[in-house]
Amino acid sequence: MRHWFGTALLALGSSICCTTFAALGQVPASHPPDLTGVWQALNTANWDLQTHAAEPGPDSKVGAIGAVAPGPGVVEGGEIPYLPAAAAQRKQNYKDRWTADPEIKCYMPGVPRATYMPYPFQIIQGSDTIMISYEFADAVRLIYMNNPGPAPADSWMGWSIGRWEGNTLVVDVTSQNDQTWFDRAGDFHSDALHVVERYTPMDANILMYEATIEDPKVFSRPWKISMPLYRHIEKNAQLMEFKCIPFSEDVLYGKGGASQ
Amino acid sequence: MTRRWLSTLVFLASAPVFAQNAPRDNSWTAPRLPDGHPDLQGIWTNKTITPLERPAALGNKAFFTEEEVRAFTKTALDRGNKDQRGGGVRDVLNAYNAFWWDSGTKVLPNMRTSIVVDPPDGRIPPLTPQRQAQLQEEALAVKVRCQRPGCAIANSGQLSPADKPEELDLMTRCISFGTVVPMLPSAYNNDYQIVQGPGVVAIDTEMVHEVRRIPTDGSAHLPANVREWIGDPRGHWEGDTLVVDSTNFTGKTRRGMDQNLHLIERFTRVGPDTLLYQFTVDDPTAYTKSWSGEIPMSKTDGLLYEYACHEGNIGMRDIIVAAQADEKKAAEQAAGKK
Amino acid sequence: MIAMKRVAFAIACVGLAMGAAPAWAHHSFAAEFDANKPIKLHGVVTKMDWINPHSWIHIDVKGDDGKVVNWMIECGSPNTMFRHGLTKDSLPVGTEINVDGYLAKDGENKANGRDVTLADGRKLFLGSSNPDADK
Repeated sequence: MRHWFGTALLALGSSICCTTFAALGQVPASHPPDLTGVWQALNTANWDLQTHAAEPGPDSKVGAIGAVAPGPGVVEGGEIPYLPAAAAQRKQNYKDRWTADPEIKCYMPGVPRATYMPYPFQIIQGSDTIMISYEFADAVRLIYMNNPGPAPADSWMGWSIGRWEGNTLVVDVTSQNDQTWFDRAGDFHSDALHVVERYTPMDANILMYEATIEDPKVFSRPWKISMPLYRHIEKNAQLMEFKCIPFSEDVLYGKGGASQ
Repeated sequence: MTRRWLSTLVFLASAPVFAQNAPRDNSWTAPRLPDGHPDLQGIWTNKTITPLERPAALGNKAFFTEEEVRAFTKTALDRGNKDQRGGGVRDVLNAYNAFWWDSGTKVLPNMRTSIVVDPPDGRIPPLTPQRQAQLQEEALAVKVRCQRPGCAIANSGQLSPADKPEELDLMTRCISFGTVVPMLPSAYNNDYQIVQGPGVVAIDTEMVHEVRRIPTDGSAHLPANVREWIGDPRGHWEGDTLVVDSTNFTGKTRRGMDQNLHLIERFTRVGPDTLLYQFTVDDPTAYTKSWSGEIPMSKTDGLLYEYACHEGNIGMRDIIVAAQADEKKAAEQAAGKK
Repeated sequence: MIAMKRVAFAIACVGLAMGAAPAWAHHSFAAEFDANKPIKLHGVVTKMDWINPHSWIHIDVKGDDGKVVNWMIECGSPNTMFRHGLTKDSLPVGTEINVDGYLAKDGENKANGRDVTLADGRKLFLGSSNPDADK
C-alpha cells in the first residue's frame, strides 16, 4: 500500500472512499484512488504556457494589479511546435489578446485551460461519472467512465472519456470547438484538437497533471504540458459562484452600442 | 414504472408537509454507495404537463382520477401543440415546430393536479404587501420607461426594455432559467445529473450548466453578507433522504422570491427509476406563508448535453441592435420635426 | 367533473403565475423578429450551427433576379435533437428546405424557423424523432 494512502486518511479526517463497483453488482476492480476534492494549479500558465517575463497589462489605470505576472513555462521541451502558418496566427492573436481572448467574454475555457485558470475546481468522483466543476464561468464537464459513444456535436468543454491506468485517471478529450485559447498570450488550436489528460496522485494533497495536445492543423507534432495540482486543505475550502456574464456584457454588447 | 408507493403518498397528502421522511415501497431498496448512503446518481428529468399551480376550477381536488388524466392530457397537448399556427406576436413567441419543444407529455406519476402540494389548494400563497409593492414599483418603472422607444415584447408578453443587456431578463442574458432553485420544469432540456462523491453531492442542471455543489460534511453556510445567484446549499442525510438547506440568495433569480429565500429540499430514491423531489419555499418577506411542492423525477437513459448559452447568444445581440435602431430612428424623426 | 374550458385557460396562464418561469422560448423572439413581417423562404442548406441557446441553419436562397443570398434561420436547442439521436451530420449540406417564419427586426437576412419543412413537405427532423422518448 502506498505511503500517501495513510496520510490521506489523516489529512481528510474521514474515510477515503475507494470507488469500487461492488455496489453496482459488478466485479470489483482494483481500488482506484478517490480524487474528490477542491483543487487548484499554482502557476502562471493561464497568462502564458511558455516561460515569460512580466509585462504591462491592458489597462494602465489599474497599474500593477492588471499586469502580466512572470513565470516559468509548463511546456515540456519549452516551445509549442506551431506549423508556420499557425505561428503567424499566434503572433496575431498575441497582438489582439486584450480584445480577442475568449476569457474576456466569460466564455467557457475548454480543456486543458480550465485546469490551470487561477481559480479552484472541484472533482466529484461518482460511480460511473466524474464531474469536474470549475469556478470560472460555471464551467463544468462530465467524464464518462463507461464510454457512451461519440459526441453528437462539438462543445466548449469537449467530450471526455475516462479510464484508470493503475492510480492514474486518464481522460481522452475530443470534440472541442475551435473557439477557445490555451492562455492569455494567444496560444490556440483548431477543431481537430485532441487532448489526453493524466491525473496521478503524488500524495494525499498533490496530483500530477499532464496533458498531451495533438492538433495536426496547428502543430507539427503532439506536445505536452505538466504541472502539480494542489488540494485546498483549509477547512472552509469551497468553490464560490463566479457568474461572470454581467462583467463581460459591456465588452460584448458595448456601452450604448452593440459591437461585434 | 412501479406505482406501489403511490398509495402511501396519497395517505400522506393531508399530513403536515414533509413532516417525516418520504415513504418508500418496502419491496425495493436503493443501492448504497460505500459510504452507506443511498445512490441518488443518474440523470433525472422533471418534465411534465402537470402545472406548477392547481387550476382554480379544481379547488381542493389534489389528485386526478385515471379518467380525468386522459381528458386533461388531451386538452393540454392539444393546447400546447406548437405546430398550431395563429398569427401575430403569439405565433412569433411559439418560435418553432413542436419537435424542438420537450416539456413533457404526461402528468406526474403521483397523479397530483399540481406540483404545489401546500397550501392544500395547490396554489402559491399571496405575496406580502411589501413584496407586492416592490414588484408593482418595478413594473411601473418599466411602463414609464417603455413610453419611450427601445422596448420590445418580452417572454411575459409585456413590453420591456431591450436596448441594454442589464435591462433584459436573466433568460435572455443566459444567466439563469429559473430551473435550478427550486428544480422546476421548463420548455425543454429538463434534465439534471446527480454525481455523488464522499462528503459532496453535485447536481448539474443542464440549462444552463449550473452546478450545485452540496457539501454533506456539516460545514456552515457562507457569511450572511455573501449572496449568490443560486444560493449556498448545505446538505445532510436524514435516514435515506438527502436534505438540502439553501440560503444566501441574491433574490434576483425568480420573480416573487427575494433575497431572504430559505429553500429546503428533500431527495429520496423511491424506486429504480424514480427520485422523489420535495421542496419548501420559506420566504416570509416575500410570501404570506411558506409553500411546498413535490415532483417525482424520472430517470432517463439519455445524457446531459452541454448548454453553452452565453457563448452562442447571437439572438441577444440582434435584440439590442434592433432596439437601439428603434431609438435612433425615433430620435431622428423627432429632430426632423423640429 | 372538470370544467375543461377553465382548465385549458388555466393551463395557458400557468406560465404567468407568480413564481413560475415562463414556459416558452427562453428569449424573446418577439423582440428579435417582426410579427408584422411574415416571410417564406426556399433554400439549400450551406451549414448548420448546432449551438445553444438556438441552433442556426444557413441557407442559400435564390431570388427572382437569380442572385443567391445567404440567410440564417434560428431554430431550437440542439440538445433536444441530440436526445432523439440526431447529430451534427443529420442535416447534410445541399438539403432543400422551406422556411415559414418572421423577418428579423434588425434588417439582417435572418428569420426564425417557425415552420421548417423538407422539399417533400415533411417537417424537418420529425422523421428522426421518437415521440415516445420521454419517460
